Amino acid sequence: MSIKSKLLSAGLIAATGAFGTSAFADVCDTPSKLGDLGNFEGEVITIMGSMEGQDEQMLTNTVSCFEKATGAVVKYSGSRDFAALIVADLRSNNAPNIAIFPQPGLAGDMAKEGHLTPLGDDLAAWMTDNYGAGSSWAALGTYADADGKEDFYGFAYKMDLKSLVWFSPDQFEDNGYEVPSTMEGLIELSDQMVADGNTPWCIGVESGNATGWTATDWMEDLMLRTTSPENYDKWVSNELAFNSPEVINAMNVYGQFSRNDDYVAGGASSVATTFFGDAPKGLFSSPASCMMHRQASFIPAFFPKKGEEVANGEADFFYFPPYAAADLGNPVLGAGTLWTMTKDSPATRAFFQYMTEASAHEAWMSQGTFLTAHKGADLSAYATPALRKQGEILSNATTFRFDASDLMPGAIGAGAFWSEMTAFANGQDAETTAGNIQAAWDAIK
Amino acid sequence: MISRTLKHVVLALIVFIWVVPFVALVTTSLRSDVASKTSGFWTAFTPTELGHRFGTHDKGDDTAFLVMKGNIFERLNKDKDSYKVDGSIKSIMFKGRVPDPENEGKTKLIRKLVPVNEAMDVRGGEFIFQSNGDFVWTFETESAPKPKNLDVFIDQDPVFGLDAYAEVLFANKNVPNALISSFIVTIPATIIPITIAAFAAYAFAWMSFPGRDWLFVIVVSLMVVPTQLAFLPVLQGFSGVASWATSLNAMLTDCESTQTCQVASKSFASLWVTHTAFGLPLAIYLLRNYIVGLPRELLESARIDGANHLQIFTRLIVPLSVPALASFSIFQFLWVWNDLIVALYIGPSDASDLVFPIRLQKQLGTFKDQLHLLNASAVISIIVPVIVFLSMQKYFIRGLLAGSVKGG
Repeated sequence: MSIKSKLLSAGLIAATGAFGTSAFADVCDTPSKLGDLGNFEGEVITIMGSMEGQDEQMLTNTVSCFEKATGAVVKYSGSRDFAALIVADLRSNNAPNIAIFPQPGLAGDMAKEGHLTPLGDDLAAWMTDNYGAGSSWAALGTYADADGKEDFYGFAYKMDLKSLVWFSPDQFEDNGYEVPSTMEGLIELSDQMVADGNTPWCIGVESGNATGWTATDWMEDLMLRTTSPENYDKWVSNELAFNSPEVINAMNVYGQFSRNDDYVAGGASSVATTFFGDAPKGLFSSPASCMMHRQASFIPAFFPKKGEEVANGEADFFYFPPYAAADLGNPVLGAGTLWTMTKDSPATRAFFQYMTEASAHEAWMSQGTFLTAHKGADLSAYATPALRKQGEILSNATTFRFDASDLMPGAIGAGAFWSEMTAFANGQDAETTAGNIQAAWDAIK
Repeated sequence: MISRTLKHVVLALIVFIWVVPFVALVTTSLRSDVASKTSGFWTAFTPTELGHRFGTHDKGDDTAFLVMKGNIFERLNKDKDSYKVDGSIKSIMFKGRVPDPENEGKTKLIRKLVPVNEAMDVRGGEFIFQSNGDFVWTFETESAPKPKNLDVFIDQDPVFGLDAYAEVLFANKNVPNALISSFIVTIPATIIPITIAAFAAYAFAWMSFPGRDWLFVIVVSLMVVPTQLAFLPVLQGFSGVASWATSLNAMLTDCESTQTCQVASKSFASLWVTHTAFGLPLAIYLLRNYIVGLPRELLESARIDGANHLQIFTRLIVPLSVPALASFSIFQFLWVWNDLIVALYIGPSDASDLVFPIRLQKQLGTFKDQLHLLNASAVISIIVPVIVFLSMQKYFIRGLLAGSVKGG
C-alpha cells in the first residue's frame, strides 16, 4: 500500500471523526486497498445466514464494498432459524449461493450430503499462510464428502473470542481490586471479594432450548488451562473419553466457580435458571450484584446500555488467565462463522476472492463486533480500542482452539453436553455428568 | 338469584384472566427497557424503590473547586431524552476502603447506607445530599477529585414513554413494508380458500355423485396433516415449478439480456398456494356442515322453478351462508396473519418482502437482546386482527349460533 493512500485514509478517518458522523459513513475506505475482482455487472449473489439486527446491517455494509467493486448485487437474508431453513432449502434445490454456518458440525453434515461446493486447495493454502493459527482454521473448514474424500469447504470469516472476563473498572477501583494475570491470582481475587462481602461472579446458563451452552464454554476454557491442546483435540473427537480424569478435573474446577454459593450472585442454584444475557447486568446494577463475568466478545450487546459501557469506560475485560503453575502457554478459545459455497457461480467465486482481501476484513473491523485472524489486516482499522485489544489477544495466542461443543456431533455438542452441564449446575456430581455424556456419545457411535 | 350472581362472578373472573396479559403487554411496552427487565409490570403504577448509579461529575473534568453543588437527578438524567428518573431520594450506599484496625497495614472494605442530610467522607471531601437530589461536596482546600460513582436508592415515580413504538415503526423502513407484505399474503390467502371451499361444500352437501362420502372423509382426514411435515415436499414441488417457469420465461421473452429469467420458488404466490391448500380441509368441512343444514324445501322449490346448480349456489346458498363464510374468513385471516413458520420456509426472503411476524422476530436481534421492542411490536401486530374481528363480529356470533339450529 502506498504512503499516499495510507495518509489519505488516515485523513478520512480523522475527518469523519471530526464531524462526528456515523462510523459507517464509508466502510469501504479501508487502510488496505482492494485488488481487482473482475466485473459481474447485474449478477445476483444470494447469501443466507443467522446474523440479524445490527450484525446484519454491518454485513450489508461490508458486502456493499464488493458490490461497488464488481457491480454484482448481493442479497442477504438472515434468520435465527438458519439451521433449520438451510437444510430445507438445500434438500429442496433452493440453495442460495453462499450459506454462512455458525457451527462447523452442520456444515460438515451438508458437505457429506453433497450440498456444498469445494472452494479449492488454493484457498485452503492461502488460509494456512495468511491466518493466525492458519492450519487450524483451514482444518476447521475441511470436511469429507459422501465418498469420504476431504475437501476445503468453509471459509472462516468473522470470529469471536471467548476467553474474556468482563468487569466494571469503577467497581474494581471502589473496592481496590487489581486485574489478575494468572488463574491463581484470579482465584485469590475471588476469595478476597468474598471476604469483603462482595460476590465475585455472575453466571447464567439459561438460553431457551440451548440452555447449558455457557457452561460448555467455561468447561472448554478450563480444559485448555488444565490439560494440553492435544488432549483437547482428542476430547473433541472422543479419543479421550468424556469421563476420563482430565475432563472430570476440568469440570470440578468449573464447579469450584459455579457451584460455590459464596462465588455466584444469587447462589449456585440460580445458575441454571439465570438467562445468560441477563447475567452480566449484575455488573452494572445498583448496587452491583457481582464483580466479574466470563463471556465471549459479543456480550456487551446485553449490557444495560447495549455496549456503550465499553466505549465510555464503564466496562472493561481481561484475558481469562492460565495457571502459572501449568505451563500451557496462553490458550485462547474462540468461534467463527464459516462461509460455504452452496451454489457455484463466477460471481460467487469472486466473492470468496474478496474475503481473502485485507480490505474486506478492515471494512467490517471498522464497524465493530468483528474480529479477524487475517495477518494482513491493519489493526488500526478496529472500531474501538476494546476490539483492538481483543484482536491482539487473538493474535498473541500461543494456542487457538475452536469451541468444542460446536465441533462435537450435534447430539453431544448441541444436546447431551448442554443438558448434562445444566444438570451439573443443578447439583449432579461431575463423575455422573461426564459419564452420562460419554454414554450419549457411545449411543450414537 | 344465587346462580345469577355466581355466573357474574365467574364471568368477571374469566374476563379478568383474559385481560391481564393484554394489560401487562401494553404496560410493558410503555416502560423503559431497564425498568421492564428489573421489575414486574404491576409495579409500574406506584412509586417503587429502585437503585441507580450516578457519577458526581464527568470523567476528565478536572476543574479544581472548594464547594461543588449539583443535583443527583440532573446527573442521572443528563443523557436521557425520555424515561427520566424522578421521585425522592431515600439513601446512598457508600462503599470504600479504609485502614483495617485489626490487621496492621491492610485495608478493609466498608459499606454503609447513608440517609438524607448526613455527611459522608467522599475522596476527602464532605458530601451531603437532600431528598430532592441536591448535593453539596465541600473540601477544606481547593482540589480536583476524580469523579465518584455512588449507588443511590430512590422512591421512583412512575414513568412511561413511547420510545419502543417509535423505534419499531420509524427506525427501520422495513416495518411498514412488512405490514404491506402481510396484507399481500393474507388477503388472497383468505379469499382463495373460502371461494373454493364454498363451491366444494355445496357439491358435498347437495350434489350426488359416486364416492361423495368417501371423498368427503378423505378431505376431512387431511385436516390432521401437520404443516411442518409437508415443508420439504412442498418446497421441492415449488422448486420444480419455478425451474419450469424459468425455462418457459427464457423461451418466450428476451429476459436473458437483462438477467431476469429466474423465477423465484419462494414467493408470495407460493404462500397463497400453501395457505390455501392447508386451509381448505377445515373450510370445506365447516361450510359443508352449515350448507347441509339449509332447508331442503328451499332448494327443491328453486329446482322446480328451473334453477341450475350455479344459480342455486349464487342466488341462494351464498347469501344464506354469509355468517358461516364470514366466520371462516376470520379464522383463516387470523391464522395467516399470525403465521410465522410457513412464511419462514416458503415465503420470499428478500428483506423488503418479509411478512410482519418474521419482521417482529428479527427485531429481537441475533441474541434476543431487544426484548423491549417485542412488546411494542406485538401490540402493533394485534391491532389489525382486532379491527378485522370487531368489524365482522356480528357475523361471527351468528355463524357460531346458526350451526346449532339445523333443519330450520
